[in-house]
Amino acid sequence: MRRRFAPIAALATALCAIPVALAGSGADPGVSSTTILIGGTSPLTGPAASYATVARGAQAYFDFINAKGGAAKRKIEYRVVDDAYNPAQTVQAVRRLVEQDNVFAVFNTLGTEANLAIRDYLNQVKVPQLFVASGATTWGRDAAKYPWTIGFQPSYAAEGLVYGQYIAKTQKKAKVGVLFQNDDYGKDLLASLKSGLSRSGSKVVAAEPYQVTSPDVGSQIGKLKASGANVLAIFATPTFAIQAYVFANRLGWRPLIINNAVSATSNTMTLASEGGKNKSIEGTISTTPLKDPLNPRWKKDPGMKQYRAILAKYAKGANPNDANHLYGMAVAYETVGLLKGLGANPTRAGLMARARSIASAKNPFLLPGVSVKTGKGDNFPLQQGQLQRWMKGRWVPFGGLWTSKRN
Amino acid sequence: MIVAAFSDFMQQVVSGLASGGIYALLALALVIIHRSTGVINFAQGEMATFSAYIAWTLTVNHGLSYWPAFVACLAISFGGGVGIHRVVIRPVERGSVLRIVIVTIGLLVGINGFVIWEWGGEPQQLRSPFGTETYDVGGVIVAAHDIGTIAVALGIVLLLWLLFRFTKVGLALRAVAVNPDEARLVGVRVTWMLALGWGLAATLGAVAGMLTAPTVGLDPQMMQAVLIYAFAAAVLGGIDSPIGAVVGGLLLGVLLNMLSYLSQYGAFDWFTEELRLPAALLIILVVLLVKPTGIFGRPEVKRV
Repeated sequence: MRRRFAPIAALATALCAIPVALAGSGADPGVSSTTILIGGTSPLTGPAASYATVARGAQAYFDFINAKGGAAKRKIEYRVVDDAYNPAQTVQAVRRLVEQDNVFAVFNTLGTEANLAIRDYLNQVKVPQLFVASGATTWGRDAAKYPWTIGFQPSYAAEGLVYGQYIAKTQKKAKVGVLFQNDDYGKDLLASLKSGLSRSGSKVVAAEPYQVTSPDVGSQIGKLKASGANVLAIFATPTFAIQAYVFANRLGWRPLIINNAVSATSNTMTLASEGGKNKSIEGTISTTPLKDPLNPRWKKDPGMKQYRAILAKYAKGANPNDANHLYGMAVAYETVGLLKGLGANPTRAGLMARARSIASAKNPFLLPGVSVKTGKGDNFPLQQGQLQRWMKGRWVPFGGLWTSKRN
Repeated sequence: MIVAAFSDFMQQVVSGLASGGIYALLALALVIIHRSTGVINFAQGEMATFSAYIAWTLTVNHGLSYWPAFVACLAISFGGGVGIHRVVIRPVERGSVLRIVIVTIGLLVGINGFVIWEWGGEPQQLRSPFGTETYDVGGVIVAAHDIGTIAVALGIVLLLWLLFRFTKVGLALRAVAVNPDEARLVGVRVTWMLALGWGLAATLGAVAGMLTAPTVGLDPQMMQAVLIYAFAAAVLGGIDSPIGAVVGGLLLGVLLNMLSYLSQYGAFDWFTEELRLPAALLIILVVLLVKPTGIFGRPEVKRV
């Protein structure tokens, strides 16, 4: 991972040394006559390092676009800084990106706590916090208070609600045990799951938090099993989600498992299956707005063919089954769309204005029918998804697309 | 109802023993390096992670089956441990203990960086040599992997006891740790004994890494939290005692699980997940204040 970003970072540093005077007269910092510099943090190391591939996918897409001439006649430089999933490091890195590197926008920064930690600052200095890689509801809900911040992925509130409603509809008197990350991300999912279950015979009987610094979640899974739960909801990042499956299996526990979208790439599921020996994984329910790289249905799909080609060319050695790459490309695609519309003198205010009025229905990496939309009173770019069930080594979609009320 | 509550309780004990087995294995490596070189090795966790990645890459990327990879990993780790001593530790060995400690902290950062650079930060899966079977013992589920882990820890204790008690090499190792200058005078090759201590610790660390990865998932940080618990286990059991490391590890695993189990029933209800790691640190502090030698350690005797 480092190998890949280092030369780009070095190049970007060199480009930044060129005085801002080169920039077009009306353009904002980070824009020169040949480049637009954007930057963001990503957990390249640390407890959530599986998400490093999100930045890698986005990077590959920008490289692809740059090879075709870039956006708005400029190349897009995307500088990724490691924050190890530690908000304190995010704050330092983002201040450096803004104050020393003069990025045009902060983009695709990953993690709920990380983004909360920089939101006040970025809104104060009026630098776009574009397409936050977190599903916390606050990004869309509090857009009036934080006009420089916008999310991307379906909100955790919408996702939790979908799971709750699914359980309410398909299970009679289910007893749900929840493993959740002890922060706003986990709590958002837990609260909305509960509201999805309300007025049904099913309810949450136990909810066990974990800290990202803990070595394992064995004790929590033991307690959830002991609670008598017959449904297990995993609201955890990939490392801990994989552990949850391993421990459930070691306890001989076979609940119906709900696994949140952020840990449901085919790659993570395959790791959790322990080489096909872990049976607790079979029948897991999750949701995604993305096309599944393992689904044969997309084998000849132009979008997915392009995805594989871009990854093979610009992210050598990357595993195409890791759909986090795909997420990165989907968000980079929308960003390129925004930048193209900014004209000769891109401004930060112009970028945010366009981000608040997206109408993109043809993102090649998202499921057909899933559109990216924002507008007056709607600050949630993605509010659709597809329920899917893990069967015999891959996701099988079922039911139609769900669309959440644009709340 | 009471039967169910009892099996829940026992399940938490078993789960505590399982976590404890992991702490015990790494604690053993810490003990062995302290006993044979007198060093507290902060890089022990990262060395174990590195070894686990070696095993993983041999099986996944180089097509070896598990046991050849296991043996190769132990050999590579032993060589790596000796190499670390020769290249990094030996130049600072003559100075204060503090210098060596700082070098091991540097190693921690360096090895972690290398692992991420070479293999990336994403989690991987290393399979367990004991499989994924589980057994139902009166309503309490026990996993083959956890039994295997604890058995390996106890087996290592026995081997170490035989080594230190009955072999000349063991005696030389002990002599070097206690008094390198006098050991040299009686003809012990001190430098090689210290290198051997590092090699042994790295090998034990490799076992710890390979048995931890199937449980917590193989990623570059997998041993960082475990290391703190392993320190607590080693201090609790007595930093020089292999059996102490295992007992300390198991005790710690069960103790922490009990606190969080009982908190459900009102006792220790202040004990939340956030306090698990601080609790381990508190144990280190209390043991060092009250009984610095731990449960099995012997007080240091100096002839005046």
